[in-house]
Amino acid sequence: MSTVLWPWAAGALRRAVGAAALAALAAFILGPLLTLLLWAFAGTWLFPSLWPEFSLRWWAFVLGNADVGKAIRMSFLSAPTATLISAVVCVPAAYAFARLEFPGRRALLLSFLSANAFPKIGLYVSIATLLYRLNLMDTFVGVVLIQLVNTLLFMIWIPTGTFRGINRNLEEAARDAGAGPLRTFFQITLPIALPGIIVAALFAFIAAFDEAQGTLIVGTPNHMTMPVLMYSLVLGYPQPVGAVFSILLSLPSLVLLLLAQRYLRAGYLAAGYSL
Amino acid sequence: MTRRARQGALGLALVLPPLFLLAFLVVLPAVTAVVDTLTPAGGGSGPTLANYAQVLATRTVRADIGFTIAVTLVSVAAVFALSYPLALYLRFSRGRVARVLGVLFVVPLFVPVVIASFAMITFLVNHGFVSTIAYHLGTRTFPRLVYNATGITLAQVWVNIPFAVLILGAGLQAIDDALIDGARDVGAGAVRTFVSIILPLNATPTMITLTLLFIGVFGSFTIPYLVGGNAPAMLGVTMTNYLTQYLRRTESVTMAVLAFLIAAVVGAVYVASVSRRERGTA
Repeated sequence: MSTVLWPWAAGALRRAVGAAALAALAAFILGPLLTLLLWAFAGTWLFPSLWPEFSLRWWAFVLGNADVGKAIRMSFLSAPTATLISAVVCVPAAYAFARLEFPGRRALLLSFLSANAFPKIGLYVSIATLLYRLNLMDTFVGVVLIQLVNTLLFMIWIPTGTFRGINRNLEEAARDAGAGPLRTFFQITLPIALPGIIVAALFAFIAAFDEAQGTLIVGTPNHMTMPVLMYSLVLGYPQPVGAVFSILLSLPSLVLLLLAQRYLRAGYLAAGYSL
Repeated sequence: MTRRARQGALGLALVLPPLFLLAFLVVLPAVTAVVDTLTPAGGGSGPTLANYAQVLATRTVRADIGFTIAVTLVSVAAVFALSYPLALYLRFSRGRVARVLGVLFVVPLFVPVVIASFAMITFLVNHGFVSTIAYHLGTRTFPRLVYNATGITLAQVWVNIPFAVLILGAGLQAIDDALIDGARDVGAGAVRTFVSIILPLNATPTMITLTLLFIGVFGSFTIPYLVGGNAPAMLGVTMTNYLTQYLRRTESVTMAVLAFLIAAVVGAVYVASVSRRERGTA
């Protein structure tokens, strides 16, 4: 690793610049989140007081709201469905992209990037007009389809990279020992690839769960997921309501991230988000 | 069948289902949108640009397109200007500050954009957190930081820093230390090393970052909808309003196709860049 390189690389100055940058970045990144956290436990918070008057009454309000229950159910039905569908459809394809020779392989793999190459909102508007014709607006199927737009890429590209990284000798050894192709796949290849597939599924779930703008267009008014409800809570209710709901909305992703922590090396993060 | 042909057939059969989904979710909607907007409303014959002429004749839409491009360029520049130094710092520094920064910058990645937008509002709005601090420091006039282009840009920076740093950082990680040490051994200074070694070697990740940022900000809805002002609005907000509020589907889709056209070159560069990077690593 080179250590001395930048003009500010000299001792004290470098440390001071680093500390100042750290403080500024920390304030900018954590400030909004901490403000939100305070608001979630505020009864009232009047300017220019630095501290809110704490209360849990908005929690009772949010948790007692029928729309909230409905949105939670819709989110926990649609996002796992989208994740599962994309896993079942994409993991075998990822194996094919990594291991099998077929015409057009490279171009077909690249074609999955097209979901990223379109301005998302334009794509959602176009999908909506298609769903109008198919009578799929404001249906569960429509919501899952919109969420699939964001999950396909993760479920193709990350597992493809994982399968590519597996040493072929391991598979060939199993074949030499008499295992058939299916047995080799399920007993050797799949277990080794599992961490990559889990990370891909995690990204896919978070992408599906957090999808808001497409679902707002396609699922309103009867198939609103949690992030979609968030729009109306932000625009139509006092600040603590949106803040309380934000915490509810962050919990699933947070829990999943903690559970999957040991799989989340920076390499996977970069792989997932450099798409 | 030969072994090779069998493998080819199996490969195609396995990739067909997701390709079908992709065609249904991306290709078909895009093609339908183009065909629909070129079809005359009265059922006349032959393609017509009437829809485009009508939409572009609307003064507010023209203003929104200009506003969208301007906000997008400024946001991309701001994210990039902050992310590149951060990625360099994380690549070439060891120690506690670098480690803390390395964890800190990823945080926004896991915050849904709806929450990020709302958090930004509570943080920056007049009588919000920053304005309260400023008040106690003696400031009595507070600039308007949300419900305008400034708010959109700040929120875009917050949301997009992790993407940019991760992609740029992965590229920097791939640069061999020996090259950098070699340049320094022959007397190149930091700036020279950066301009003639690091910048060109990291060109492909840089293109991926810039194009992804452009498409992401240009096609955004949530941030401009919640953190932006009423007029001018970004194109994403306008086309959604036309679709869901004014129930003018054709105009909305026409704007969507216009957005595709404006971003088309950028999208093509993005795909080409990822393709080039993959060829390098595969």
